[in-house]
Amino acid sequence: MAASLELSCWGGGWGLPSVHSESLVVMAYAKFSGAPLKVNVIDNTWRGSRGDVPILTTEDNIVSQPAKILNFLRKQKYNADYELSAKQGADTLAYIALLEEKLLPAVLHTFWVESDNYFTVTKPWFASQIPFPLSLILPGRMSRGALNRILLTRGQPPLYHLREVEAQIYRDAKECLNLLSNRLGTSQFFFGNTPSTLDAYVFGFLAPLYKVRFPKIQLQEHLKQLSNLCRFCDDILSSYFRISLGGISPAGQDMVDANLQKLTQLVNKESNLIEKMDDNLRQSPQLPPRKLPTLKLTPAEEENNSFQRLSP
Amino acid sequence: MLYCISTGEQILLSDNAASLAVQAFLQMCNLPIKVVCRANAEYMSPSGKVPFIHVGNQVVSELGPIVQFVKAKGHSLSDGLDEVQKAEMKAYMELVNNMLLTAELYLQWCDEATVGEITHARYGSPYPWPLNHILAYQKQWEIKRKMKAIGWGKKTLDQVLEDVDQCCQALSQRLGTQPYFFNKQPTELDALVFGHLYTILTTQLTNDELSEKVKNYSNLLAFCRRIEQHYFEDRGKDRLS
Repeated sequence: MAASLELSCWGGGWGLPSVHSESLVVMAYAKFSGAPLKVNVIDNTWRGSRGDVPILTTEDNIVSQPAKILNFLRKQKYNADYELSAKQGADTLAYIALLEEKLLPAVLHTFWVESDNYFTVTKPWFASQIPFPLSLILPGRMSRGALNRILLTRGQPPLYHLREVEAQIYRDAKECLNLLSNRLGTSQFFFGNTPSTLDAYVFGFLAPLYKVRFPKIQLQEHLKQLSNLCRFCDDILSSYFRISLGGISPAGQDMVDANLQKLTQLVNKESNLIEKMDDNLRQSPQLPPRKLPTLKLTPAEEENNSFQRLSP
Repeated sequence: MLYCISTGEQILLSDNAASLAVQAFLQMCNLPIKVVCRANAEYMSPSGKVPFIHVGNQVVSELGPIVQFVKAKGHSLSDGLDEVQKAEMKAYMELVNNMLLTAELYLQWCDEATVGEITHARYGSPYPWPLNHILAYQKQWEIKRKMKAIGWGKKTLDQVLEDVDQCCQALSQRLGTQPYFFNKQPTELDALVFGHLYTILTTQLTNDELSEKVKNYSNLLAFCRRIEQHYFEDRGKDRLS
């Protein structure tokens, strides 16, 4: 059997095991096919800038690019497409091509090119994963690569301005999402009840779009309206990505946060109680001391009175 | 009026495929077309791509927009399909565009043997020296940039041929034993696939591996023959441009 398989990829956030689409595709496929994958979150990333992430390392091989990694896993007998018919296999290829042509440009644009999103979310996140001084260079390089790709494949001739291309790619992406939603319908996965390669690809592309919090979110809003796709992502996240240890930090953190909330509530309640008790304590002992001076006065007065009675 | 690059001397594999696909589509819609060949058709087109059609005072280029334009005029081949089938059709069209078209472009412009012998000579043939060389090199540089951006820059010819094989296998499996991709009626997917496969089969290149890959799948060959007979020879056309 295969020796230990290690996957180097970008880390996770916002409830996802990884924020990078291609890494997510490979991780999802590994979960579906039962491949024992050890995930290394990379932080030293000259390779990442050339688009080589994710990378699968075994004892003898180094495989990059999701399609090749999936092929490699299939050859090692980790096959999630075992039950698919030939026609469904063909459909898989076709739908993956659709995703790459129509959805990927818009996803790249939302993450890397849209300036609000890039500067407030994407760049800080990636910069926090990379050590200084690479953190100053690499996100910029990835952004330029994404822009290049969009312009060259969509904005022919390359003289077109980005704005004209933007409208077209978002229109295409929304159409693609609608098509996917129609195809998924009400079933749990794209081909019946077991997940396959196509599910891994769709999950990889949709999940970051669905979960990451962006300022400019027109595509995310459109996705949220397609409830069966959202349910699809949530299902996969909850069934395949909560149980493992590596990717549990988001789920674990949620629990920790919940516990912390409960603790703070308890503490608040206790401190309220303590304050109340304090008030009560302060109020009650003050009454008897006030009575004592009056008691002292009366014997004095009585003495005075008695003296006065004696004198005349 | 359909404009395309003049055949014989100048036209290249991928442009020929696209033109044929549009012609097939229009024939399937029973729309009469007149094919006009111009050397500078690429520059006349609004998006820089051939073929394009000129109807009245409108100019529409590329298969996708042409399909929509024709649909707006009331002719459509895909009305009988339900939503899932339409999604499948779009997905398969993307597959063909993604794999076959890119492979054709790769073979024409990034494979040194083909480039030297065929492409440069053909592309620049209507222009005098040195313009023919300059234009050819410019186009080659453009295509190579695009290949690099989508990750095909590092692929070898064998890998590209393997991808074509996979694509043909998928198409063959989807077609099965049916006459057209969505059973009885041809759709724009059939037109697109026909355009590409027919051109691959009939164009002579330095190596025949590309057409060999397609010939492996007999139902695809039968499919091409069927469309050719039904839509092109019956109408009395003596030459497929």
